[in-house]
Amino acid sequence: MLNDITIGQFFPGKSVIHRMDSRFKIVLIIVIMVMLFAAQNFFGLAVACTFILVIYAASEISPRLMLKSIKPIIPIIILTAVLNLLFVKEQDAQPLVQFWIISIYMKGIETSIFMFLRVVFLIVGMSLLTYTTSPIVLTDAIESLMSPLKKIKFPVHELAMMMTIALRFIPTLIEETNKIMMAQKARGAALDTGGVIKRARSMVPILIPLFISAFKRANELATAMECRCYKGGEGRTKLRQLKATKLDFFASGAVICVLGIIILDNILL
Amino acid sequence: MNIIEVKGLEFEYKAYDDNGEVCGVNKVLRGLDLTVPRGQFLAVLGHNGCGKSTLAKHFNGILTASAGSVIVDGMDASDEERVFDIRQKVGMVFQNPDNQLVATVVEEDVAFALENLGVPPDEIRKRVDVALRIVDMYEYREHSPHQLSGGQKQRIAIAGILAMKPDCIVLDEPTSMLDPKGRAEVMETIKLLNSQGVTMILITHYMDEAVQADRVVVMDEGKIIMDGTPKEIFVRVDELKAHSLDVPQVTDLMYGLRQNGIDVPLDVLNETECANALLKLPHGAYEKPGAAPAAPENDEIPYVAEVKKLTYKYSVGTPFEATAVDNVSVSIKKGQFVGVIGHTGSGKSTLIQHLNGLLRPTSGEILINGRNIWAKDGDIRKVRFMAGLVFQYSEYQLFEDTVYKDIAFGPKNMGLTEAEIDTRVREAAAAMGLSDELLERSPFDLSGGQKRRAALAGVIAMKPEILILDEPAAGLDPKGRDTVLEEISEFHRQSGTTILLVSHSMEDIVRYAEKILVMNHGRLFCYEDTDVVFSHTRELTQIGLGIPQISRLSHLLKEGGFDIGDDIYTIERAKERLLKTINA
Repeated sequence: MLNDITIGQFFPGKSVIHRMDSRFKIVLIIVIMVMLFAAQNFFGLAVACTFILVIYAASEISPRLMLKSIKPIIPIIILTAVLNLLFVKEQDAQPLVQFWIISIYMKGIETSIFMFLRVVFLIVGMSLLTYTTSPIVLTDAIESLMSPLKKIKFPVHELAMMMTIALRFIPTLIEETNKIMMAQKARGAALDTGGVIKRARSMVPILIPLFISAFKRANELATAMECRCYKGGEGRTKLRQLKATKLDFFASGAVICVLGIIILDNILL
Repeated sequence: MNIIEVKGLEFEYKAYDDNGEVCGVNKVLRGLDLTVPRGQFLAVLGHNGCGKSTLAKHFNGILTASAGSVIVDGMDASDEERVFDIRQKVGMVFQNPDNQLVATVVEEDVAFALENLGVPPDEIRKRVDVALRIVDMYEYREHSPHQLSGGQKQRIAIAGILAMKPDCIVLDEPTSMLDPKGRAEVMETIKLLNSQGVTMILITHYMDEAVQADRVVVMDEGKIIMDGTPKEIFVRVDELKAHSLDVPQVTDLMYGLRQNGIDVPLDVLNETECANALLKLPHGAYEKPGAAPAAPENDEIPYVAEVKKLTYKYSVGTPFEATAVDNVSVSIKKGQFVGVIGHTGSGKSTLIQHLNGLLRPTSGEILINGRNIWAKDGDIRKVRFMAGLVFQYSEYQLFEDTVYKDIAFGPKNMGLTEAEIDTRVREAAAAMGLSDELLERSPFDLSGGQKRRAALAGVIAMKPEILILDEPAAGLDPKGRDTVLEEISEFHRQSGTTILLVSHSMEDIVRYAEKILVMNHGRLFCYEDTDVVFSHTRELTQIGLGIPQISRLSHLLKEGGFDIGDDIYTIERAKERLLKTINA
């Protein structure tokens, strides 16, 4: 059960999207999200969605993965679509369908299709970022993007270090949890029977050893880091440099053009 | 030129009470002197708690001396201004491979120290590549640490130190959590680096590692009590044993022969030296007893566990599908002491987890006391009480606030009465050599060996029909290891419980097991009496299993024309045969 969890699913590749500077990727994805919501009509939305599909194709990520990323939120998408369909009213217009207390207007259909597409493409865009960027590079990029906050004494480096260590130890702790569960099961612990309270209490024999071991690990890791001259973020360099290339500026240009089209479209139509 | 000079070093931990007042002082180092010349390979021996890890942490300023001085390459290790210079000179590698890797990608981890030191990126790249090539892990540079084996992780940890271009590397029990293959990899790396001029200080419990050093120091009670070349140290067998340390098997054998009045040299550290010394002696031939009729299997004794055509596959239906156990059938008779051996990934852990129903067979059957444990009307929890399983590093399962309650956890889950639980807890604790006084203590205050035995008692208290122990002695010092194994053996004798002892250490297994089960690549390689298994040691070595040093000695002797039999696997037997055949 625990083995199925994958964190920041990353699919290594060599596509243009993979090769982009992750800082640009984060910023541009945010701009694309904004685009989805800035689009006021079907033409604008179609442009934004097509653009996302084009990037997706360029990333060489299998379309099956795109569908997989949407799967968990299908209920939410359907719910929002249905709510919009039922509750959006249009003044001075005849409802298209009317029976019992339900009345559906043309505007309701439009809004629900809009919402549906926006949410779907929002998720697709976000997953595109995590599919093509390794968690560690993502951490680096976030650290770099947030570095102006250091001026106001925001612990940017510490935060990034914590994220790195968390990413490093998640698989180790999952494995450890499995081992402890097995050991307690072997002593007859009933982990998956009984009511809520009983189940919560049955977690104690797992959580206590897990915490004790995690503290021990933290302690040993801290010593090992000290031995390797760790002294905080001050004066640190990095093996992997984030470097913007022509590709990134080209991508930024493309995103700005599309955004321009959508804004123009909003103004003109 | 000395890289490290320690003079009159003292170190104490202060214990504080609830008001912040000092309520006790624990002197760990008591006036220790040591000089380490450049380029030396130094091994440090001593039982757990003798102060050797504390000493190591003084070499690079992690701990600061209470009194005395530590000079590293002319710098005072307590000088806070120079602490990063010192840490670059002297790097440290620790016991647990997982707890010293910081980054999620191998090459980034190796780069960690250089990043901290502010080395320019191009230079980092170069040094990381060089370090990874030296430890032979270059092709794994983009892997995640959790995808690597223990031995590989330790080599990455060494590379991470190496990237700082240190003059000295201190390794604190770097192999004690590794399998034999991982140990060999790490030792090879240590020797390679030493040959390139890096001073190596290796803290270890393994004598076969210590004998490879240039110099050995032995510590006890915060002081150095012996100092010399491996030969000079290991001839002092009595003293080493008095300080609860091991000696190499061949040295132990020679010691035994000398006690019986045979004039053999004691300064032999490996089987070749030992064989050469023994071959010089006049000797008669060992008369093999005529092919003794194989002891007839006693049909009266019932099988306690039967495995029938067991196959187990991981992640069925995904691209990661793999067969861990492949069509294994084996039957274990009641009351036997069985050793289970096989290298990492041979399927031995998967096999034993089936015996108490933690894993469900993909196909095949498991019978305990003749009943199929996955029969429709069965209760799998009851099976778990019949086949008690103790995992590796079992102290991690302790969680209650007293040892007593922790041992009572299993019996409580069985739904026994309070009176019955009390009897069982006390019996199990006594069987594992835990005093009544310890039962009321917190399990987290116990020593490493005691914690391990408390965890074992927790399973023994369920009075299982079969007791399955996965590496019960892993990571303990020689004394802790002997205590645990002796208690288990004694428990076996007194209770008649069937025991399955899983271990990487052939030496430990052959001391106790009547039968040996060997797993290889998910299949049953053999399940035979210990004597029979050792009559084909060649096959064991072929599948990558180490055989005891004493067996290798007997092979060398045979090659040299001095045959003492093929069934040599304990020092006692070798001694007995040699005493019979040597014409003193």
